[in-house]
Amino acid sequence: MEVLKEKVEEEEAAEREDAAERAERGEKMMRLMEVRKEETTMTQEMLRDLERKLSEIEVSIPEKPSTFTKDTIDISKLPLSYKSNTPKEEHLLQVADNFSHQYSHLCPDRVPLFLHPLNECEVPKFVSTTIRPTLMPYPELYNWDTCAQFVSDFLAMLPLPDPLKPPSYLYSSTTVLKHQKGNCFDFSTLLCSMLIGAGYDAYCVNGYGSQDLCHMDLTREVCPLTVKPKETVQEEEKAPPKKYAIKPPRDLSSRFEQEQEMKRQEEIKAEEEKRRRQEEERLMEVDSAKTDPLHGLRVHSWVLVLSGKREVPESFFIDPFTARSYSTQDDNFLGIESLWNHKNYWINMQDCWNCCKDLIFDLGDPVMWEYLLLGTDKPLLSPTEEEDNGVNDDDAVENLGKEDEDKSFDMPNSWVEQIEISPEVFETRCPNGKKVIQYKKAKLEKWAPYLNNNGLVCRLTTYEDLECTKTLEIKEWYQNREDMLELKHINKTTGLNIDYFKPGHPQALRVHSYTSMQPEMDRVMEFYEKARVDGLIKREETPKTMTEYYQGRPDFLSYRHINFGPRVKKLVLNNAESNPRPVVKITERFFRNPTKPADEDVAERVFLILDERIQLRYHCREDHITASKREFLRRTEVDSKGNKIIMTPDMCISFEVEPMEHTKKLLYQYEAMMKLKNEEKLSRHQAWESELEVLEILKLREEEEEAHVLTTSIYDTKRNEKSKEYREAMERVMHEEHLRQVEAQLDYLAPFLAQLPPGEKLTRWQAVRLKDECLSDFKQRLINKANLIQARFEKETQELQKQQQWYQENQVTLTPEDEDLYLSYCSQAMFRIRILEQRLNRHKELAPLKYLALEEKLYKDPRLVELLKVFV
Amino acid sequence: MHQLCDMEPRVMDDDMLKLAVGEQGPRDEAGQLAKQEGILFKDVLSLQLDFQNILRIDNLWQFENLRKLQLDNNTIEKIEGLEKLTRLVWLDLSFNNIETIEGLDTLVNLEDLSLFNNRIAKIDSLDALVKLQVLSLGNNRIGNLMNIIYLRRFKDLRTLSLAGNPIAAAEDYRMFICAYLPDLVYLDFRRIDDHTKELAEVKHQYSTDELKHQENLMQARLEDEQARREELEEHKAAFVENLNGSFLFDSMYAEDVEGSKLASLPGVAELMETYKDKFVIICLNIFEYGLKQQEKRKAELDTFNERVQEAVQENQAQGRHRTAEFEEKHLLNLSAIRGESELTNIETKIAEQREDIAELSNALMTLEMQLVEQLEETINMFERNIVDLVELFIENVQSLMAQCRDLENHHHEKLLEIAINILEKIVKGELDEDLPEDVRPLFVDKDTTVNAVGTSHDTHLLKIDNREDELVTRVNSWCTHLVDKIHKDEMTRNRRRVKEINQYVDHVQGELDSLECGDILD
Repeated sequence: MEVLKEKVEEEEAAEREDAAERAERGEKMMRLMEVRKEETTMTQEMLRDLERKLSEIEVSIPEKPSTFTKDTIDISKLPLSYKSNTPKEEHLLQVADNFSHQYSHLCPDRVPLFLHPLNECEVPKFVSTTIRPTLMPYPELYNWDTCAQFVSDFLAMLPLPDPLKPPSYLYSSTTVLKHQKGNCFDFSTLLCSMLIGAGYDAYCVNGYGSQDLCHMDLTREVCPLTVKPKETVQEEEKAPPKKYAIKPPRDLSSRFEQEQEMKRQEEIKAEEEKRRRQEEERLMEVDSAKTDPLHGLRVHSWVLVLSGKREVPESFFIDPFTARSYSTQDDNFLGIESLWNHKNYWINMQDCWNCCKDLIFDLGDPVMWEYLLLGTDKPLLSPTEEEDNGVNDDDAVENLGKEDEDKSFDMPNSWVEQIEISPEVFETRCPNGKKVIQYKKAKLEKWAPYLNNNGLVCRLTTYEDLECTKTLEIKEWYQNREDMLELKHINKTTGLNIDYFKPGHPQALRVHSYTSMQPEMDRVMEFYEKARVDGLIKREETPKTMTEYYQGRPDFLSYRHINFGPRVKKLVLNNAESNPRPVVKITERFFRNPTKPADEDVAERVFLILDERIQLRYHCREDHITASKREFLRRTEVDSKGNKIIMTPDMCISFEVEPMEHTKKLLYQYEAMMKLKNEEKLSRHQAWESELEVLEILKLREEEEEAHVLTTSIYDTKRNEKSKEYREAMERVMHEEHLRQVEAQLDYLAPFLAQLPPGEKLTRWQAVRLKDECLSDFKQRLINKANLIQARFEKETQELQKQQQWYQENQVTLTPEDEDLYLSYCSQAMFRIRILEQRLNRHKELAPLKYLALEEKLYKDPRLVELLKVFV
Repeated sequence: MHQLCDMEPRVMDDDMLKLAVGEQGPRDEAGQLAKQEGILFKDVLSLQLDFQNILRIDNLWQFENLRKLQLDNNTIEKIEGLEKLTRLVWLDLSFNNIETIEGLDTLVNLEDLSLFNNRIAKIDSLDALVKLQVLSLGNNRIGNLMNIIYLRRFKDLRTLSLAGNPIAAAEDYRMFICAYLPDLVYLDFRRIDDHTKELAEVKHQYSTDELKHQENLMQARLEDEQARREELEEHKAAFVENLNGSFLFDSMYAEDVEGSKLASLPGVAELMETYKDKFVIICLNIFEYGLKQQEKRKAELDTFNERVQEAVQENQAQGRHRTAEFEEKHLLNLSAIRGESELTNIETKIAEQREDIAELSNALMTLEMQLVEQLEETINMFERNIVDLVELFIENVQSLMAQCRDLENHHHEKLLEIAINILEKIVKGELDEDLPEDVRPLFVDKDTTVNAVGTSHDTHLLKIDNREDELVTRVNSWCTHLVDKIHKDEMTRNRRRVKEINQYVDHVQGELDSLECGDILD
């Protein structure tokens, strides 16, 4: 027993050491120098501690991976290349094994290479051959960002079976696509295939990532949708004082005071800065509280895109889980073991003590990157880059002692089938068309288009706190809505709703922000002014005012502001429409009309309706600082004799920058006033119409919200009912046409020919008989048909007579309903009889013609023509 | 209607015009006002004087702004008295007794002219009417189809009526007009259809093509002329016109009798040749230098104008902002004062408002004074620079001219040498070849010879001096003019601005005063 126990203990110790070593090795990658120091001082306690930690973590590994094992994959239908290796592939595997042995011999302290995991059919496949470069037929997938977004949306993420080791299985991208889930290696293989297909210089990377990265945990990331684009304040470059620039007036303010003020400002700023820093420190503490014990050991796979191709200016990483791009200096990427594309495989020989920050991605340098296959040390997608070949020969001398045969060896073609994504699946994107991502203080939900019947495709909920309990605001994106609603922004704290519309709303609405849908409340409506006849851009409303902004009108109106008074109470209570609020004041502003002189071009006119006063302000002349003004007092007074005063000089007060003669005339003033009076009426009418329009829009919006009809493109033959019907109808017509053609080809002689012994040539007698039989048969059929029609006709007539008889007998006792019934029957019967009659007549007319036609046809029949010719 | 029966011709006197204006003026309430005030003739836009038996157009000079004038159905015999009506767009002189088209040379805005039913025989004197669109010449005595060609110069002519003329009887009439006036749309009140147009074009293609060719040639010549004139103008602006060639050299010899005589001496021809070459090179130098300097001056002026413009604009913007601010406040205050009932309150408010006005006036004036100071400085700087530039230019030109003089002196010496040589030879009787007859008298004795050569030299020097003087004076006068103009412009600008500010302040003050008066009256 003792021995046994010892043995067990030994084994356990070995295991422990194993585990420790594994952890240690990872750490060595990270901090080679420190670890080496620690190596010597490693004690039993530390080992135990480590073991405990490790065991804790192992518990936390979810059992999910079991849902996607090879049991669920139907391998029977997979093509042969999946189930076996070609000789070339076998050779490659041998080379890889050889390489792996030499590598482990030369670098014993590094983890074994991830070279040829098993595929879904348990066949070892080299990783590079698993990449199948494919250019997708969708233009959306041509750029790396959309491509990565698609992969991250399309696949559901599975964690690695062992977070510290690369997986032992790597399935083909076709299988992964079919099941819509995979681990990081599946993700990056698929993405890499698509990117290389699209012409990028992309690589799969096997390396180490942070915990957040490996678990696709975005809760500490700020949602990219909430980040406001930085306002690029373009510092207006102060032009150097040019020649003849005037000198600024002398500054007479006290410099001392300015300095004091500046000091004060600085103090305040420093205070703020301090507070901010404290806050930051606090947050940092919170963050650092949950440091990852396995930091630097977690295996992750991502995609590296090197600069050069497709106008990529700088190399960067793409995390396939989140579709985010990171710079190669990012803190989340802790180290690289190896990387590969469809042509070759490279091992990182650089030290990763400072994450990936110091790595140089010059794959042609064998000191930094050890390659597996010679000859393709630099991926050559385009054959023009030939300058690398010279480098290869030099490198050959100092590589790890590879066999010469490597030189002539290149990567076999991918064993994976063509990657195909059907349009339906492409549109649905996420598994089941729905995806939820949790960000820091935000939650993002995505749906496939047409999944929600109100057209909702995306919802971003922003929270006030980290625990996501208090909603701050909700943003909802819509697609394919008939009312062109694009985005709905709901601010929960202020209660402000803002709806954004795409061009095409029936009222040309662009933005509608409101707190309630009740009329005469605070709201702002913006419009697509080009789509409107009146050129309205924006209409702002408060309970007492309405302001409208215009653009591009022939009358140069740019602004109209209407003040409303309190509604006059009427005895009869009507609804709002019939009792509009009285207009107190209308202010209208105009753009400059270049065809008029400035002195005659009104810039602003104010109708003070209660005061009966009209104020005009004209545009300012180019070289003036004051503008002409004119004020009309519209009082109808009666002079001492009782005559109506039409116009007196004090009814128009005007200030003119350049006094003009003709404007002093009462006649001119009178005419101007009359014109203004008319225009005031028009403006008031306009105000009333604007109010009506607001009501109308509100009503329309409510209806649209109720109905939320979705539109479908006419090219979308699956969803668009009309085009679907049309397509189906077309198909039906085609089918019928086909049937008819088949029918037309029916051989009318076939039944008669069948009676004759097959294979023999027809005699003349037989031919004549055949013809006669055929004709007589046809005659019989015609007669039968006539009889049938006749019989039906008689039957209908009898029936009708019977009914008539019955009616006459019971006429007195019939209820009106019965009578109606009878009458309708009669009319129907009469109709039927008439039709039958017509048919009979037609048949009588046509039957002889048909008979003659058949006879003619028989004479011309190629089989009989020879034999019957004599008689003709 | 009595005018028609009464064949006594009438004179266009004031009463008649007043009556017409009054009748055709505004109606109703506006009419009352008009009557009360009276209508000035220069405010009238349209006047109708038909069936008045007018014999002579007269007394219309006051109607400066008239747009539409109807003088049809009178007995006018001559078109006259319309010179002042330059704004006229529409003129109707139909049913009169006019025999020639005349007196329309100032009516450049005329678009519609009707001379229907007159006695006109020739289409003429319409050159000034560049905007003509409608021309009615029916029922006249035009007998020659060639009159149509005259109408080709009116690019905007769309409607023409010639029915009732002798030419309208010609069988080719319509086709001819369509071919020669392809832009015409209506002929004799009928639209010309495309088919007719095509037919006409084909029919008269040969002659119209020739006409077009000639017109094009003429046009090209005119343009050429224009371009040349512009170039010369440009050179003149640079004060170096006619220096880009041998013009000056040629002019030196143009009036120099002796010089040309001497030129025929043996050996002088080669000398002349080299002299001319060198001289022309210097002239070209001056020319190029002049153009360069001109460009420099222009650039200088442009930058100056630009900066001044900027400064003024900025100042104006400030002023406008200031007034706009004040205006807003002012309006509010005025309405507040109107609404106030307490007398003491009104007074305090009015006092406040007065202060505001004073403040505005001060602020605007300060702004203006500031601008004046700034501009003065800039203008002075510009003046200095431009004067420097001009001086430099003159200096350089003078040095180049001195080179010319040197050349001339050199040439003179050489010529003198040759002349004396020849003279000596003649004296010795060693002369190989014969001298031309007209040169022989010059070599009578040494004095004559030297004199002759000297005269020629003096003439040349005089020419050079003249050219130099002309250039210098012109540059200087340009410079003084420019500076004067800038100063004057700035002065007028300043005065206008001050006037504007005062006017505005007065107006605002007046508003306040009237309010005060009104209140006191209340």
